[in-house]
Amino acid sequence: MLLRVENIHKSYGDAEILKGVSFDMEPGQSKVIMGPSGTGKSTLLRCINHLTEPDQGHVFVDGEELTSKNLNAMRQKVAFVFQDFNLFTHLRTVDNVAIGPRKLRGFDKKAALDLAYQELDRVGLSDRADAYPAELSGGQQQRASIARALAMEPKLILFDEPTSALDPELTGEVVSVMNKLASEGMTMLVVSHEIGFARQAADEIIFMEGGKIIEQGPPSQIFEAPQQDRTRAFLNVIEHGGHE
Amino acid sequence: MSEWFDFAIEHLPYVLQGIPTTLGLWASAMVIGAALGLVLAWARIYGSRPIYLAATVYVEIFRGTPMLVQMLFIYLGLPEIGIVFDPLTAAIIAIGLNTAAYQAEYFRGAVRSVPVGQMAAARALGMGQFQGFKNIILPQALRRVIPQWSNEAILELKYTSIAYAIGVTEITARAEKIGYETFQFFEVFLLIAAIYVVMTSVVAQILLFVEKRVSVPGL
Amino acid sequence: MPYLVHGLSVAIALLVCLLSLGLVLGLLLSVAEVYGHWTLRIPCTVFERIFRGIPAIVLLLLFYYGVTDFIEMGSFMAAVLALGLRSAAYQSQIFRGAFLSVPQGQMMAARAMGMNKFQAIRDIVLPQALRMSIGPWTNEFSSELKATSLAYVIGVVELTRQAKYIISNTQGNILIVFAVVALMYFIVNRAGNWALYRLENRLALPGFEHRGDA
Ligand SMILES: Nc1ncnc2c1ncn2[C@@H]1O[C@H](COP(=O)(O)OP(=O)(O)OP(=O)(O)O)[C@@H](O)[C@H]1O
Ligand SMILES: [Mg+2]
Repeated sequence: MLLRVENIHKSYGDAEILKGVSFDMEPGQSKVIMGPSGTGKSTLLRCINHLTEPDQGHVFVDGEELTSKNLNAMRQKVAFVFQDFNLFTHLRTVDNVAIGPRKLRGFDKKAALDLAYQELDRVGLSDRADAYPAELSGGQQQRASIARALAMEPKLILFDEPTSALDPELTGEVVSVMNKLASEGMTMLVVSHEIGFARQAADEIIFMEGGKIIEQGPPSQIFEAPQQDRTRAFLNVIEHGGHE
Repeated sequence: MSEWFDFAIEHLPYVLQGIPTTLGLWASAMVIGAALGLVLAWARIYGSRPIYLAATVYVEIFRGTPMLVQMLFIYLGLPEIGIVFDPLTAAIIAIGLNTAAYQAEYFRGAVRSVPVGQMAAARALGMGQFQGFKNIILPQALRRVIPQWSNEAILELKYTSIAYAIGVTEITARAEKIGYETFQFFEVFLLIAAIYVVMTSVVAQILLFVEKRVSVPGL
Repeated sequence: MPYLVHGLSVAIALLVCLLSLGLVLGLLLSVAEVYGHWTLRIPCTVFERIFRGIPAIVLLLLFYYGVTDFIEMGSFMAAVLALGLRSAAYQSQIFRGAFLSVPQGQMMAARAMGMNKFQAIRDIVLPQALRMSIGPWTNEFSSELKATSLAYVIGVVELTRQAKYIISNTQGNILIVFAVVALMYFIVNRAGNWALYRLENRLALPGFEHRGDA
């Protein structure tokens, strides 16, 4: 088992956002988390690598528990792709990708750059290596940030709505990169309402509402025969009404 | 520490007698600076080319050179051509002319930040350019400029201590005098440091209060 | 004239020393104020308030007459300390503003990669904050250049004091001497502003260039 999430609870003030969430992931699996806005999907993802400290519960990666002691080492194994990219503004694209290997993985400059070019190639951005983030389109920025994650050679990548800040015509280029990664065997946990990606690449859909998982299963089951009314209602909205 | 308090209490009255001078100097200079600053700002926004240039040169010179040099120029230099001031007057003029240059820039920025539509609307009502400036633009600009103006006022309150260098007996000069009489320089300068901190805090509070009182929703 | 040039060089030496002291200390203060624990933040804020609340002249007198009672030092050193600590207070404000204006996502992304707080500040936030600081720092440069003239009151033989000596010795030419002195300050100020403006543009990131006038 690659990832084990056990009974995560999180409250902000009086509001209990996560009410005990548990699930597992095997190496090479892709899972997609869906659910209405404000349900705690982002909070869950952030709790997994302790960008937000959970109040209760445990996270194990490769059998090792994430604690405040091994936090930085564990985060190198669990990469995070943000909705709004968060590329480092002052670094060229290639340096954004190289900085992790260089500063955190002990690569020398040349090796780090070589790896960075390789990862940029993987997301189809070799030709924009010298551009600064502000000079890239949204879709290019998101692909660059995926390359930055890949350069850490992580065991698992967490994606928080990677396409929801993008115009529809730019969504496709990011989704196809993600599809490719999934088919190459990358382990991915993705919060997204992209039905296309979910159907094609996901091994399992996790449906959340009100801080809990209310249904999970393979895409065929969730999309064709959802057990819960809530799930069915939600899928109706996103399939026919587009984004909420 | 308690020794210092005894010392402070003993000499406080003498030092405090300098406060009217300090505050008078400050207030006069700020008034001169505000009046002249407004004129300069007007000149730099609406003035014809020569007027604009003259105002710009003024602002650049006064902002580009130290106030102490300006003060010495007025106090020691001008008598050479027959213009003689007593130290206090020289200090008021120097600080006033100096702060005018800074205030002009703040006023100019504030006027610039009033949307152009406001002047257009004033002209459409039949106001002349000056009337539009005075009745419509200025009241808005002045409200916007208060935070920066307050900052400037507090800076200038501290700068009044420079007048000590030409022999104005404001509080810094009085403190030095006590220093030479008692040789307790550290204690006495600590005392006036505290007085300045109190004065600037009080003034800052008052200006903040004024800012709240005259604020208009949406401005 | 050679005297004035010598005075100018003393003024510039004083300026460089005080700005350097202010830069190092100001940066430390701002990091402590933005990222530090409150036990660190409070003393730093108090330091900043105090040194911004006291006039430069009073600080100069305090350090020259006062602190030399305890620690032996010359007037130049006293001026560097008094003006340098004061500049640190002002510079910490500049850097704090710059740190706070770096979007939070930058720090978050750095931490999410596995950087510790120190690495994230050093490699990600600081390079961005420093770029943004150059503009406001240019104002601080101008203020401190002018403030060096105040070291006159504790007898540092900088440009203004040198001018005073000259007019006491030669009796006359006062207006000319002060005009030349003013011009010198003016030129140094302009040159410094120009150089910093160049630096700012050199380091500007694509997409974040200067908008409009200097
Ligand atoms: N730092 C915080 N402080 C207080 N409340 C927070 C904080 N972060 C999130 N919340 C609250 O927690 C709830 C869940 O937020 P979260 O971002 O996890 O939802 P989400 O499922 O990702 O929604 P969306 O689809 O809109 O991204 C929301 O009500 C949000 O307001
Ligand atoms: Mg979210």
